[in-house]
Formats: sequence, C-alpha cells, structure tokens
Amino acid sequence: MASSAETTVRTASGIQMQHGDHIDTIESVDAVFRAQRKLSFAYGAVFFVVTLAIPAMSVWWESWYVTPVWGGFTVNYLVVSLLYYLFLWGLSYTYIKKADKLDENLSHMADEIAAKTAVAPVGGGENG
Amino acid sequence: MGNLNVIAIVMVIGLTIFTVGLAIFVRRFTRTTADFYLAGRKVGTIANASAISGDYLSAASFLGVAAAVYASGLDGVWYAAGFAGGFIVVVLFIASALRRFGEYTVADFAYGRFGSDRIRLVTVVMVLLTSLFYMAPQMYGAGTTWTVLVGAGVFGLSPYNTGVIIVGLIIMFYVMVGGMKGTTLNQIVQFWWLWTAMFLVVVFAFTAGKFSYPATLAEVTAENHRDVKTYTVADLTADDGALLASAEGAMSPEAFEEVQAVVDAGDPAATVGVLVPAKNKLHTLRDMFFNEPGHRYNSFDQFSMVLALVLGTAGLPHILNRYYTNPSGAAARRSTFWVLIFIGTFYILAPIAGLAGRQIIDNAWRAGAAPANASYVDGLLLKSDAIMPTIAQILGGEWLMGAVAAGAFAAMFSTTGGLLIASASAIGHDVYEKYINPGGSEARKVFVGKASVLFFALVALGIGLGIPAVGLDKAYPALIAMMVTWAFAVGAGAFVPMLLTGIWWKQTTERGAIAGMIVGGGGSFFFIIMNILKQLGRLPDEGVLAFMGSLTFPTLFTFPAALLTIIIVSKLDGQLPKNVDEIWMRIHGTASERHERDMGTDKVGSMFSSGGK
Repeated sequence: MASSAETTVRTASGIQMQHGDHIDTIESVDAVFRAQRKLSFAYGAVFFVVTLAIPAMSVWWESWYVTPVWGGFTVNYLVVSLLYYLFLWGLSYTYIKKADKLDENLSHMADEIAAKTAVAPVGGGENG
Repeated sequence: MGNLNVIAIVMVIGLTIFTVGLAIFVRRFTRTTADFYLAGRKVGTIANASAISGDYLSAASFLGVAAAVYASGLDGVWYAAGFAGGFIVVVLFIASALRRFGEYTVADFAYGRFGSDRIRLVTVVMVLLTSLFYMAPQMYGAGTTWTVLVGAGVFGLSPYNTGVIIVGLIIMFYVMVGGMKGTTLNQIVQFWWLWTAMFLVVVFAFTAGKFSYPATLAEVTAENHRDVKTYTVADLTADDGALLASAEGAMSPEAFEEVQAVVDAGDPAATVGVLVPAKNKLHTLRDMFFNEPGHRYNSFDQFSMVLALVLGTAGLPHILNRYYTNPSGAAARRSTFWVLIFIGTFYILAPIAGLAGRQIIDNAWRAGAAPANASYVDGLLLKSDAIMPTIAQILGGEWLMGAVAAGAFAAMFSTTGGLLIASASAIGHDVYEKYINPGGSEARKVFVGKASVLFFALVALGIGLGIPAVGLDKAYPALIAMMVTWAFAVGAGAFVPMLLTGIWWKQTTERGAIAGMIVGGGGSFFFIIMNILKQLGRLPDEGVLAFMGSLTFPTLFTFPAALLTIIIVSKLDGQLPKNVDEIWMRIHGTASERHERDMGTDKVGSMFSSGGK
C-alpha cells in the first residue's frame, strides 16, 4: 500500500518516487539497500553462527553437555535456559542502535544522491 | 465426575466475558480496517510490543513450553529459546522492509512483489496450511485444560471432547461478534495476564514449593530420565515381557503393583500407563538425563528444530501482519526489541515452571495432595500438557489455577480467533472476491466471510476431537509445543525463503518464488505427515519411508532446498516484473520515512533515542 503522499514520476532514465521534499531514485535506493544489506547480514551471520553453535556443541563436545557447573546446570543447560536471552537482547540492542544511526546517515546520503540523479519528469507525475 | 474448581471456573468465565466485551466495545471505535491501522499508529512502542507479544503467545507458549521441559528436559527448553530467537530474524531481515512495503498480509506482499494471481493463490494455500497446524494445538490445549479445570463432560462426552467443543463454540461466537482479529487493547491485556500468571507460578514455586533452580535440576538429573507411556497389556507382555520388566525397573514397587494388577487381569486390549527408561537419541551409548540433550532429537533434529524455531517466527502470517501497525521502520525495530524483552523474560520463566513441576507435582502426588482431575503414573503426569493448571493448583489453590486457566483460554481465544479470521479472509477476500465472484454484493461477501469462519471453526473443532481419536496425544510426549513447531516448520519452509529473496534479491522471479514455496511448504508438510505416520506405527521400521518419517522437523532440509529452488528457477526463468524498479523502491526506498520524519509522524516514543528523536 503506497503512502497517500507518494508521487511516482517517470523520467527518461527511469522512475523516481517523491514524498514531500524527499525523492527516491533507483541509484539512491540501491545505495541504501547495499548499506542495509551489509548491516543486516553481518548481524545475521553472528546470530546464526552463535545459535547453531549451541546444538553443534551439544552433538560434539561432551564437557559442554555433561559437566555440571552450578548445581544441576551444565554449560549447555545454562546457555539455553538463561544466557542465550542475554545474547539476543545484546544483539538486538546493538543492531537497533546501528540501524538507527545508519538510517540517519542514509537519509542524508539518499538526499544527496537523489539531488544528483533526479531529473525533470518527461511524462508528468502520477499519484501512487 | 471430576472435581469442580468453582473459583477457578468463575475466574475463567470472568476473563472470557471481559475479553469478548472488550472486543465488542473497542469495535465501536474501529469501524473500518483503516481505522484499525490508524489506531495502531497511535499506539506507543511499549504498547505495540505488548500487543505483538500477546498475539505471539498462544497455548503453545503458555502450556506447551513448560510441558515440553517437564517431559523432555533440555530438548524442551529449546522451544523457549527458539520461540524468542525467531524475532531476531524478523528484526534483521523482515520488519523494516515489510513496514516500508506497507502490505497487510503475506499474500498481499507476494502479490505486490511478484504481481501475479497465481502466487497469491499459492500463498493462500500455504497460509491455510500453516493456520491449521497452528489451530490444532490450541484446540488440544482447550481440551486438556478443561479436563484439569472442570474434570467433567456433558451429554456423555469425555471432559476433553467437551472442552474442545465448548471452547470451539465460544471462539466461533468471539470471532462473529468481535469481528477482526483481537484488538490491540485485547492483545495487551492478554499478554500481561499471561506474563503475570507465569510469573506467579514461578514465584510460588520458589516460595511455597521450596524450589531451587540449580538444586532441583541436580536432584531431577540424579536419576535416569523416565518416559510416561501408555501401552496395551499385549504390548507389555510381548517378547517375554521385556517392556514389563523395563517398567518394573523404572517404577516404584507400589506403582508397579497397579500395573501388574492390570496385566494379571488378562485382557490383552486393556491399556495402562507405565514409566520406562528414556532413550538418548543423540548420544545413543549414554543414558538419558534431564539436563542433557537427546531425549527427543537426534543430531539432525537438534539443528533442524533450532532452525524451524528461529526461522518459523518470520513465517507466521498473523505476526507479520502486525508490523504494519508500526509508524516507521525504526519503530518496527524498537517494538521488536521490547518484544524480545517481554517474551524473553516469559520464556526464561516457562522452563522454570516445567522443571519445578517435576519436583512439586511428584511431592504432591506422594503426599496424596495432587489435583484429582489430572492423571498420574508414579508421580508423573500422564499428559505433560496439563502441567500448568496442575502445578498452579498445587502451589496456589483455585485462585492461582484460575489465573492460569483463564490465561490459557484467553490465549486460545485470541490466537484461534486471529487464525480463523486469517483463514476466512484468505478464502473470502483473496479467493472469492477476487476470482469467484468479483462483482458480488457486500452482503454476499459478508456471508461468504462468515461461512468461511464457520467452516474453519468446524475444521479446527474436528482436528481437536481427532487428535486423541488417532492416538496423536500418546505418540508425542509434549504435543502442544510439537504441533506449534510443525506450523513453524511449514511457515519457515513456505514463506521465509520467499520473503528473504523477495526483499533482498532483486532477481527473484514469480516462478522462482512459487517453486520455492511449493518445495519448502509442501516438503515440510510431507515430512511432518510422514513423521506422524511413523510415530503412530503406520510406517515400516526400516527403509526409505522409515528414514523420511524419522525427520521430526524437516527445516534443515526444506529451508535450504526452498532457497536453492528459488535461486535456480529464477536464474533459469529470468522474467522479472516489468515494474521491478518501482517495487524495489517501495521495499527499500526511504523518501517516505524521511518525509514522515520531517512531519514528525514517525514518533511514537523511543527508548533508544535521546533529544531530538
């Protein structure tokens, strides 16, 4: 569902979308996409490596799942029942901080790229 | 006739009336879909996160996680961790893009991204499949909770069947009068009720139950883990009574006497609950202990279960729908952080309740103080899914049991109601209105929508009644959590590869996405059915079919297969939508958010920003 304030403009070199004073061109969107992809996939890699390391150690590292470290807690039990949540909270907190900062930087970058690449429409605009 | 827990029943009825009443009251102010979503935009981050959490926590989380831990130890704890971890995938890869694209449902996203009716229909089928898998444990939870709460049936029906039918009928009424999926306000109330009930159970366990987390874990682990199973006398006496001898070694002499008495009566078809030593499926040469992995899952399933849980959340249609209620991509991320805090604390508590149950229910049973409506074998619950109301009654009497049972029913009403609406709109809106009768009158459309609700409610009811009839409740030790994870597996296979590639790989084509959904969703469905057949003893013990039936969760296989299928078919196909640039700009463009920031419409409260934001 497109925003009601959106205007789609077809130009000789492609399309651009305008919301108020701000314009998206395909060049600015691609730049934003690449930066967001880098951040998301870097954090995603950390998340999956840590998450899948837990069952991997449950399969291949005996001390991990056998040796008690606190009452009946093995490291395996302690991680899955308690410490994993600290990892999730820490990961999501730092990701959100970085994503917010990236958004801030990208908004300036997108405006700059759009200012360079946006062109006057050839066929008029249409409300999206 | 079981024991009627009058106070607890009154609390359940009270919360039910309150929930339905709130839905009716709030509906007066949300006459249109647009009103509903605009109201969502006015909700702050904490409130929105509470609503998402309320939407997410179903009977599986409230009843199923503790039950899985009670039955399976560490393998059960993974349900909690995985259910929580799934939101990381949502926040990293899905939330912001989905919010920017601005579609309400997965089917709308698929149609908007790939632009074909064909993919919308395939998505609808997968939504229905996922919803049915998700509805089944809610209905099973209804029957199980009713059995412990009321302990009696009506019109000659068993307590379980009575619970399923009555709860099914209430949900039908709830959806009919409440209309759209439970309102934001209802979801918030429901979540905090569930959280508080779980918190109280754990607090009571530490105080009244003399529970100590590390000490109780050590105590429960001191002996080999035992399984509660129901066998016929014929099974027990086969192979020179090998099973019977095994049970004798695992049970107390007093409890085994009762088993022996049933065997001595000589009816080979008679059934009896016994304890047998649990096998370690992961490290087959080791004995099985509560605090070690391997009770439920071999090495393949250890990985596959984790993947199903963490990927499945991003494939749940009713959760993805809620992301539109965030006013911006940044707000969607902040909401998800708070969801992780809320459900994370809940999921830390739930396994504690499961472990406490091993000690507290056993102690109560040996003291003759265990609730009479539940069934036990030598101090262990015959059906682990009854643990929450049972332990609540032991620890806090009818008041705490009432709080727990009311929470369980509220979770079922809300989740099943939402799933019924999702299923009905998939048929009524996405199929009937678009393809069968596009020019139909408004009254006709409403009629089809209500008929769809009725149909799917009856299907859910039938599934609930059919579960014990086919013996599924005896085939799996903690059925509620297991069944919900099947829904996660189907969602993870059907939707997540399509969403990930649709959002992050521009070259994804419509044919590639459809092929991926069929391989991922259809493959998951096939392997789950095979596993059910194997658990029910309908497949041979060896051979290809036996192998196919051995995959408890197929995600480790189906997810990469679906992803690979999308990539290969898209490369071969190469036919991108003509307006792919425009679509790409809708997914990743930020002009709208920059404009909203200028206008100040992106703000709903923030914990991360200071000063200007």
